[in-house]
Amino acid sequence: MEKLIIDASKRSIIPNIKELIRYKDLFWTLSWRDFKVRYAQTTIGLLWAVLQPIVTIAILAVVFGRFVGVKTEVPYLLYTVSGMSIWTYFSFVLSNSGNSIIAAQGMVKKIYFPRLIIPLSKAVVGLIDLAIVFVILIALMIYYKVTPSSNIWTAPFFVLLAMIASLGAGIWLSALTVRFRDFQHIIPFIVQIGLYITPIAYPAEFAAKSLPSWAAQLYYLNPMAGIIQGFRWSLFGGTAPDSYFWTSVIMVFVIFISSLFYFRKVEDEMADYV
Amino acid sequence: MKEVAIKLERVAKKYTIGKEKDSSLRGTVSGLFSKNSSKSEDFWALKNVSFEIEKGDVVGIIGRNGAGKSTLLKILSQITRPTEGKIEINGRIASLLEVGTGFHPELTGRENIFLNGTILGMSRKEVAAKFDEIVAFSGIEKFIDTPVKHYSSGMYVRLAFAVAAHLEPEILIIDEVLAVGDAEFQKKCLGKMKDVAGEGRTVLFVSHNMQAVNLLCNRGIVLSAGEVIFNGDCIEAINKYNNLHQQLQNSWTGNEGDEDVRLIRTCINNETDYFFNDQDIDIEIEINILNEVKNLVVGFHLFNDFDEPIAYTVAGDYEKRSYSLGSNIIKFRIPGYTLTKGNYFVKIDLGIHDLRFITKDIGNLSFNVIIRDNIGCVYPVSDVHSYTGIFRPNWEHKA
Repeated sequence: MEKLIIDASKRSIIPNIKELIRYKDLFWTLSWRDFKVRYAQTTIGLLWAVLQPIVTIAILAVVFGRFVGVKTEVPYLLYTVSGMSIWTYFSFVLSNSGNSIIAAQGMVKKIYFPRLIIPLSKAVVGLIDLAIVFVILIALMIYYKVTPSSNIWTAPFFVLLAMIASLGAGIWLSALTVRFRDFQHIIPFIVQIGLYITPIAYPAEFAAKSLPSWAAQLYYLNPMAGIIQGFRWSLFGGTAPDSYFWTSVIMVFVIFISSLFYFRKVEDEMADYV
Repeated sequence: MKEVAIKLERVAKKYTIGKEKDSSLRGTVSGLFSKNSSKSEDFWALKNVSFEIEKGDVVGIIGRNGAGKSTLLKILSQITRPTEGKIEINGRIASLLEVGTGFHPELTGRENIFLNGTILGMSRKEVAAKFDEIVAFSGIEKFIDTPVKHYSSGMYVRLAFAVAAHLEPEILIIDEVLAVGDAEFQKKCLGKMKDVAGEGRTVLFVSHNMQAVNLLCNRGIVLSAGEVIFNGDCIEAINKYNNLHQQLQNSWTGNEGDEDVRLIRTCINNETDYFFNDQDIDIEIEINILNEVKNLVVGFHLFNDFDEPIAYTVAGDYEKRSYSLGSNIIKFRIPGYTLTKGNYFVKIDLGIHDLRFITKDIGNLSFNVIIRDNIGCVYPVSDVHSYTGIFRPNWEHKA
């Protein structure tokens, strides 16, 4: 028989993976609900998921590709789309999970389930957008007749890294927003600033070259900097990721693991704050 | 000895109220640098709560608003953690603090059954297995593939309750979910809950509806100001609860109404704390007429201990009567040999006949009736348990 002990004097800080697995059905149901509801009653439905990144890409292509004239090894549009694909996912998860627990307060206040499921399910929904941008990316590669480099087998790892980074940041922000509503306003800033301090519209090497080495190190604290650079390397080849890249990778895991612990710490009392 | 299903040991829950400044980002950041005394106040929603519930018990948790019932339920259902104490729960537990948690208006009834079912802790497989039963219970087969936003509120609630009713936990925690739907559906719900209780499952039931508590529960726990003040027999618990709060109030003054008519005072004529069953009970209602109105109806509802309306009366001559401007006093009399032993409540209504209410349920006057002879009743009534009716008339009889 199941036995449950709640002891106020003993607080576990270790994320309860076993329980998460037990609630897997809820996780899938919530993800599916979010997907289903997202474009309900819109006329063009899923097209919105395509339209949003395309517009951003078009603007970046005009500003950086034409006006600024950034030079890249592959056609500039393709270059931007490759960076944008990963970034779109990251920013989607960030903005959606940040608010996710407050948005689900009706549930959080009325029933128990591992709260982590809420930000996790947002990360799944984002994968649909990611897949759409990947389709655009592949179409462009065919159009420009760009053959993938021999490093292409590493691409899934970078996508996985991007997912872990997005989740980590998303979990942190979802927990922080419950406690400090300020983050509702901070998240759009992070996304906006991130678009420029991440090598989406320009090669990461530009930043590494033009900055003093301490500042370059700082630049790579942004986990997406290394990930996007690595993802491009897997697609188009070129110089292999350098030591800066590993700064980003370490950051990914620092953010992700710390997020799980912080979330666990505040999870029990979320219902009192939302 | 029976097995213990739930055991609480000195459980307490503290909330911090007052200045929320400390918990804001600014407060936290500035708190890192300065140690200014916090202006917040601690509020203990639960204090030192200990009890045991045996397997198969159906326990009613009663108490006034703010007594800590909801906090207790939230802690037991793991929505929030206790500040102090220890809880042991043996068995699969499910809590139902609301029906339709997580329902999404854009999804169809079918989709919402799965969504709500998994939220309540069922697996998709379990929901699928009970799907037909759930739909049949809700009685909305025809609309099962319609988005629930097009449902009437009654249909919505029926579907939601149907899902909840098919949960099969060993321990079930329920909060006031009976207060849903029309009378017929409520009866169905109550019946379903009785079945659940009859199957030997442990049920914790929080309600203000003493009638339902009485019907369903075999034990009662009374909470007051965060503490358990009674734990035992259900009927005794209800009595305890009723006596706890009923500071009998025999008059009310105020100013309620609209621009034409104001209710300013009402009172009951008792000199002692109670009436004997053979005494007349006079109720005075004072209204202030600001503008002349037609068909003004003055009346009141009479409620019993279980908060059930047992009678309604109005001054039935409203068509002929015109009240003069200014103060008017209307006197009602409940003749002796009408009511039986118990506490009663009077709530005043004013309205325009067939048109609208001016004001509703005002006053909440209360009085107590004590029996001093045996007229109209075979058994001398000694407690609520042998409560043998609502009225205690002195009907004609011959030998």
